Amino acid sequence: MIQTLLLSRNPYRVVILVLLALSVILMTVPVLVPFDPNHVDMGNRLQPISVEHLLGTDHLGRDLFSRILVGAQTTVGTSIFVLSIALLIGIPIGLISGYIGGRIDRMMMRVVDAFLAFPDYLVAIVLSGLLGPGMINLVIAIVTVKWVGYTRLVRSTVLSEKQKDYIAGAKINGLSSFQILLKHMIPHILGNVMVLATLDIGKIILMIAALSYIGLGAQPPSPEWGAMLNEGKSFFYNAPQLMIIPGLSIMIIVFIFNLLGDYLRDRFDVKDQKGGL
Amino acid sequence: MKQIGKRLIELLLFLLILSFISFLIMKLTPGDPVRFMLNVDDVSISEEQIESLREELGFNDPVYIQFGRWVLRFFQFDLGQSFMTNQPVTEELAKRIPASLALTFSALLILTVISVPIGTLSALYKDTWVDHLSRAFALIGASVPSFWLGLLFIQLFSVRLGWLPSMGKGTILHMILPSLTLGLVMAAVYVRLLRSSLLESLGQDFIKSAKARGLSSSRIFFFHAFRHSLIPVITVLGVSLGSLLGGAVIIEVLFAYPGVGKLAVDAIVRRDYPVIQGYILFMGLFVVTINILVDLSYRFLNPEIRLKELDRN
Amino acid sequence: MSVLKIENLTIKKQEETIVDNVCIDIKAGEWLALVGESGSGKSVTATVIGGLLPKALKIESGNILLENQNILNLNERAFRKIRGKQISYIFQDYQGAFSPFIKIGKQFDEMLASHTTWKKRERVELTLHMLDSVNLSAQQVYNNYPFQLSGGQVQRAAIAIATILKPKLLIADEPTTALDSLTSLKVLELIYNLKEQTGCAVLFITHDLRHVKKYANNLSIMLRGKLVEYGDKKEIVEKPKHEYTKQLLSAIPPLRNSPTRLLTINTEKEKEVTIV
Repeated sequence: MIQTLLLSRNPYRVVILVLLALSVILMTVPVLVPFDPNHVDMGNRLQPISVEHLLGTDHLGRDLFSRILVGAQTTVGTSIFVLSIALLIGIPIGLISGYIGGRIDRMMMRVVDAFLAFPDYLVAIVLSGLLGPGMINLVIAIVTVKWVGYTRLVRSTVLSEKQKDYIAGAKINGLSSFQILLKHMIPHILGNVMVLATLDIGKIILMIAALSYIGLGAQPPSPEWGAMLNEGKSFFYNAPQLMIIPGLSIMIIVFIFNLLGDYLRDRFDVKDQKGGL
Repeated sequence: MKQIGKRLIELLLFLLILSFISFLIMKLTPGDPVRFMLNVDDVSISEEQIESLREELGFNDPVYIQFGRWVLRFFQFDLGQSFMTNQPVTEELAKRIPASLALTFSALLILTVISVPIGTLSALYKDTWVDHLSRAFALIGASVPSFWLGLLFIQLFSVRLGWLPSMGKGTILHMILPSLTLGLVMAAVYVRLLRSSLLESLGQDFIKSAKARGLSSSRIFFFHAFRHSLIPVITVLGVSLGSLLGGAVIIEVLFAYPGVGKLAVDAIVRRDYPVIQGYILFMGLFVVTINILVDLSYRFLNPEIRLKELDRN
Repeated sequence: MSVLKIENLTIKKQEETIVDNVCIDIKAGEWLALVGESGSGKSVTATVIGGLLPKALKIESGNILLENQNILNLNERAFRKIRGKQISYIFQDYQGAFSPFIKIGKQFDEMLASHTTWKKRERVELTLHMLDSVNLSAQQVYNNYPFQLSGGQVQRAAIAIATILKPKLLIADEPTTALDSLTSLKVLELIYNLKEQTGCAVLFITHDLRHVKKYANNLSIMLRGKLVEYGDKKEIVEKPKHEYTKQLLSAIPPLRNSPTRLLTINTEKEKEVTIV
């Protein structure tokens, strides 16, 4: 079974596989962590890489490897959480807006356009700044900027699918609006949403890290990668790993999601593109 | 002309809504600005002092009066005074705006210089090593945290090599690292976008027709395909000029670059409400202006829109 | 004299044979109709003549002679000089005939400039003359963008630009399929008139025998990459040899009835929702 899953080229399965692997890794973090990530040991500050401390220790003598592992939970976990909420808000509104149409649709789109008029980083910075630094406020701020994209995507998918003949066929066959929505629209929407969501996860991770870096998200001593980077940057000369490792971790995890998103985009892009001259 | 007039009315309306929203945000967010103001001085303050300051700043008036006052002042370009520096907000912003615009546009320049050739080559030599390399660049570029890249640049070019200053402003040298960081990270998106847009254009029937007419490849590419591909690119560029400024906030903080973004983050941390409001309004104005410019550039690139409008008027 | 001679041409897409040992001979002033359903290889045959074969397809064997010169060995540069000047095309999709955001006149001009050394004034004059001869209001169309013209107008302009340099061979790849029937008739007539004026040969590709009846001299029928019938039009129409030709002929509707589809032409592309 695992083999068929591994070898299959069904994009849904690939996504499930990657998410499964990721959640297993994140779940086992507490078992893998060798030290308490927040245990301060001033006698052991800025230790180099060793067998005991795989990545060395930071300026407060905390084990970097442990902090990175727990930080993965914070960063990736939070971004998946943010995404889920954005999906839960964005998709239903998009469905309703696109399917019902009319005045409700026009009103919704006004709201969506207003949100989209502003660059997401700006809104997130201003919002999380005003709500006050902290992870929960950061989540609220990023959800606020992210749900709109899904509403718009779902709405436009619904609108373009609505035109097609098979929906007319389904109507003639006596299916109710709800059944049509469920049976015919959802599969189409799912593919599009999946592509956007995978590409978005990377962006959300970057955003959480960036805002934490400038002090608006996770607060020290919380082991969040962006916040760790901020703490570590002053010690670059003595312990460069304090700055390099968190950054590299962010990059690698975002890269994985981007790769996945790229693959999905190619899979779902039905357009046959010819190249060269 | 009619179009421009309509646009201006829209702009005015937009500004009104924006000022309302920014006013509302201030009112709804937790934290008492008066306490923040007085805490800066680190002196113990009596309740009477707080109360008198609240009275002085008009925080005790009904909300609608506060809003009315705020709108009135706003249309006189009076955004109040910064709590931090006691300078008028408009002056504070005016001091910083040129630096931010300079950063944004030099980042834009770097972005263009990088992404246009790479995206073009990638489309022309699809599925060869050139293409794979540029796609890898795009993927990695989209995955690098900009502030981290900036930190690495500082370490390499300022600390180790000592070629460039890492902080502050003043000379063109101070702008190189921030705009390079910003441009490089943003370029990744455009490589990918330009590539797919070009590939789409090249697959169109009118390219086949142009080939069948015996036109040269370079002529077909630049006069027929490239221009056609620019429309989606310009759209995204317009949208992302805003995010360029948003991303610039992070970079400005990182390089201690004295732009509006740095000003805003400082203001947010200190709850300097007049400055935050000023920043929101400035950004709103900027974003709307950019959107109008993008709209106008469509007209230039796509005669269909231009002529349809002529018909209507 | 033969304008175009295709000798034993075989084209493959990996292992699949798309064009199978095809021989064609077209003389100056001749109108050869190449009829077949979609996927029969007729359009591939059309594209290979101008050297426009998609990269996925490979020429396995055969020769293509343009006035006794083998053009299959030509490099891209040399081919470019032939395309548009000696061999020109009219395609099915009239919307793709001109670049969307460039004025029609400019597109005529750039083509003339790349094939000739004429002066601007000469190029404009010829263009206007040509647009006029396809019954377009020349001055206006010269300054129009393609989207300002109707489908029929664009297709006429496309015919004008295809014949402006008096090519020896005009390849019309289903030029009427996307047009309504009245416009189609006009376009067919136009191509015929231009052929008479310039004396060029016409290779007319279609899936519909109706478009062939009036103007074609010779007829060739293609089925799954092979030419199953090739010869004088009259003879074939009167005494078809191949079963497929008979089917095609019997499927041409009598004028008064509404047209029915050829069963054999139903391909995958045409999945239609039947509403009972």
